[in-house]
Amino acid sequence: MTHPTTAVPVAAPKNGRETSLEQQRLRAAFWFLAPMLLMLFCVAAWPLMRSIWFSFTDTSLTDLHGGKWVGFDNYLSYRQLSSGRVIWRGTLVDPAWWNAVWNTVKFAVVSVSLETMFGLVVALVLNARFAGRGLVRAAILIPWAIPTIVSAKMWGWMLNDQFGIINDILLNLGLISEKIAWAANLDTAMAAVILVDVWKTTPFMALLCLAGLQMVPGDIYEAARIDGIHPVKVFFRVTLPLIRPALMVAVIFRMLDALRMFDLVYVLTPNSAATKTMSIISRENLIEFDKFAYGSAQSSLLFAIIAIFVALYIWLGKVDLGGEKSK
Amino acid sequence: MARVVTPAQKSINTAAAWVVALIIFFPILWTFLTSFKPEEVAVASPPVFVGFDWTMQNYHDVIAQRGYGSYFWNSVVISVGSTVLGMIIAIPAAWAMAFVHGKRTKDLLMWMLSTKMMPAAGVLVPIYLMGKSLGLIDTRFMLMIVLMLMNLPIIVWMLYTYFREIPGDILEAARMDGANLMSEILYVLTPMAIPGIASTLLLNVILAWNESFWTLNLTTFQAAPLTKFIAGFSSPQGLFYGKLSAASVMAIVPIMVIGWFSQKQLVRGLTFGAVK
Repeated sequence: MTHPTTAVPVAAPKNGRETSLEQQRLRAAFWFLAPMLLMLFCVAAWPLMRSIWFSFTDTSLTDLHGGKWVGFDNYLSYRQLSSGRVIWRGTLVDPAWWNAVWNTVKFAVVSVSLETMFGLVVALVLNARFAGRGLVRAAILIPWAIPTIVSAKMWGWMLNDQFGIINDILLNLGLISEKIAWAANLDTAMAAVILVDVWKTTPFMALLCLAGLQMVPGDIYEAARIDGIHPVKVFFRVTLPLIRPALMVAVIFRMLDALRMFDLVYVLTPNSAATKTMSIISRENLIEFDKFAYGSAQSSLLFAIIAIFVALYIWLGKVDLGGEKSK
Repeated sequence: MARVVTPAQKSINTAAAWVVALIIFFPILWTFLTSFKPEEVAVASPPVFVGFDWTMQNYHDVIAQRGYGSYFWNSVVISVGSTVLGMIIAIPAAWAMAFVHGKRTKDLLMWMLSTKMMPAAGVLVPIYLMGKSLGLIDTRFMLMIVLMLMNLPIIVWMLYTYFREIPGDILEAARMDGANLMSEILYVLTPMAIPGIASTLLLNVILAWNESFWTLNLTTFQAAPLTKFIAGFSSPQGLFYGKLSAASVMAIVPIMVIGWFSQKQLVRGLTFGAVK
């Protein structure tokens, strides 16, 4: 930065300078926010509205402007045959969609719970005094910082049935009797995906809990120790409530990512029905299967599901986003 | 923490921490080792840890035969470019939100958060169409813009939480001394917020470097970055795990370096300032 003295041209008249400055600031604030709002509108609001619009039409990828309004047909429609039988159609009665919903929910709930649990444990371990603390902390953050694509490929190889080291280790420990194709096998694919996600995100959760733990004053533990209170009780009665705000925010952001999860499954278990998530299945319909409007309906549903979930979470958990109250 | 720690307890703590760290770090270590193995050693069963002929062949092959350099360069240009563009938009916006109080600030923050709920798949086609009509498909510029926009909410929010901690009085004083808006932001606010801005920059570079949905779907070859290269990594003939490991190691080293300098800030940024 250069010297502040070089740039002080003040042209405003003396009288009423206060108000004109204030006005100038308000105007500036508007112009400063405008580019951001415009940009967000262009990449978020507008495409999303278009997508929702497409979901009520019969648009196809080859003819994007020729779609006709079809109402809720992509979501749910029925037709009565002359025999009196009623046929339901649409995403809401599509077993593949519900399979994806179920997969996504299972993935999100299991992985986020495990990550939170392990994250807390790791944080408690790292919160103690020990040699090489800085190095250990940096080392465990790495899984989070590397591209998901890279970790998916790495794990895909380590979980491979012929060459994978995981199978070797488990065989040597006597935990399995023969090598398993973890990612390819329908029964274990979801477990493999969850394993990789837990590995990747636990460090992040741990560092976050650690930051929370370090805000807890040491005297509290000291007092509890002198009063002879069991450490487990201290943890649940003192530590946990104190780090709860940080934890709640962390969980919601993880949930947002988990519900939209795409890349890990895309690389680790492509085309496996056991792990198809909502993002994967809607992308398939949008782009690969030429069911564009149908895919649009699915991605609109996905958005709605996430929005409802977040609203409930913030409301029920009284989450303090952005640290508003702590200020 | 003012607890008394006996030496015995300390060594138990140390052992526990290192075991945890080793478990978490193991896959990275394994990839690192594998990247130096000849392909036939890489798939040996039982696995070989260190007793093999270390070779740079995999690195050489990846760089020389597979055009690694251009992917790497694309990654650098895209992540740095999107970060710089993002900061140009985000710093004034965060200033406005932090120092010019309006009734709508909170609504704005919530609206920005809601963009994080948007499934990328849902807006892919509209954005692809926009890019196509502007002739920007498979260009680095397109990815810079898209990634910048995807990360914009998080960096504005992060800068906002940093700016809010700067006392408004100081800016006020500068104004009283006759500083105009430009100099207020450039010479008073920015220097004080350098740590916050720096960590926001680093976080944004990491996020852009790691991003995969948009890079996979909006590029073919010209603008393809490392994530695309590694996602599509397979070999028609023979074994490729050593080379895959070498490519992975080269893709994660820059991130490890950046991450080392910014671990604390990363946590803060990713929780929208809820953790300090």
